[in-house]
Amino acid sequence: MIEPATTIPAWSMPDVDPARMKTMAAILRDPYPVHWDRDSVAGLGRGHRVINQGPLNLSYITNMLIQWQGPRCIRRLQVSFADPVLDHESITATGTVTSIETVDGERRATCDVRLERNGESVVTGTAVIALTAEDD
Amino acid sequence: MLALVGHRFTGGTRTVEHWENWLLTDCTGLPQLPDGLVHPIALFHVPIQGVGTSIAELFALGKVDGAGSVGLDGYDWEYFQPLEEDIEYRFDGGVIEVERLVTQRGNTYDRFVFSIDLSTPDAKPVARITNHWRLRR
Repeated sequence: MIEPATTIPAWSMPDVDPARMKTMAAILRDPYPVHWDRDSVAGLGRGHRVINQGPLNLSYITNMLIQWQGPRCIRRLQVSFADPVLDHESITATGTVTSIETVDGERRATCDVRLERNGESVVTGTAVIALTAEDD
Repeated sequence: MLALVGHRFTGGTRTVEHWENWLLTDCTGLPQLPDGLVHPIALFHVPIQGVGTSIAELFALGKVDGAGSVGLDGYDWEYFQPLEEDIEYRFDGGVIEVERLVTQRGNTYDRFVFSIDLSTPDAKPVARITNHWRLRR
């Protein structure tokens, strides 16, 4: 039974791949060079490591939620970005249910969600998730 | 910059094709979703492009350029129904807030907030995104 304090199974990206950032930049039509040009980030004090796109950081949280409650489960995401994720870092999405509500006949969980790097939060926020009958 | 509040994007329609969704999902490290479902993270770029603008045009609108000039503060994304491949969705939105702020270190930036609504061809709501960007001065 899913209830407040239930822990969502974590989802990990063990090696943030700079090649995926390049593909993502093309999909997004994102001209911001910090995602694909190591020389552009040299002056930012983070070494020659490109910066993962914010949407990709959030995707690791959505992947955790999809893995938990299926591909149609997300009703709302509210997140804040605290610190960039760099290429070849290892990160993990985690979450905890904080409350349960029924909205329009649908049982939903509000969850605290985080993206962590070595125990440090780089993305934090709240997700509202529809609980599927078979998993609830 | 404050005059940008109320700026409306052109608006328009956009379809997510299978190849794009496949590559997008692959970038996230997740196996492909079933039934032509679009990965939820598409709510970043698809609304921006669907409303008739681009990340580059938003940078120009916000008068920022170069590495370090832009940061993400946060997103608020509401999903009223899942996005699917090969449906021509409708997009409408605009800039809803601009505020000039100063960090504790004395650095000036503009909090730039825009919102876009997605709907089906028969005008049923699909999603609403509100993105908060930090434009450094």
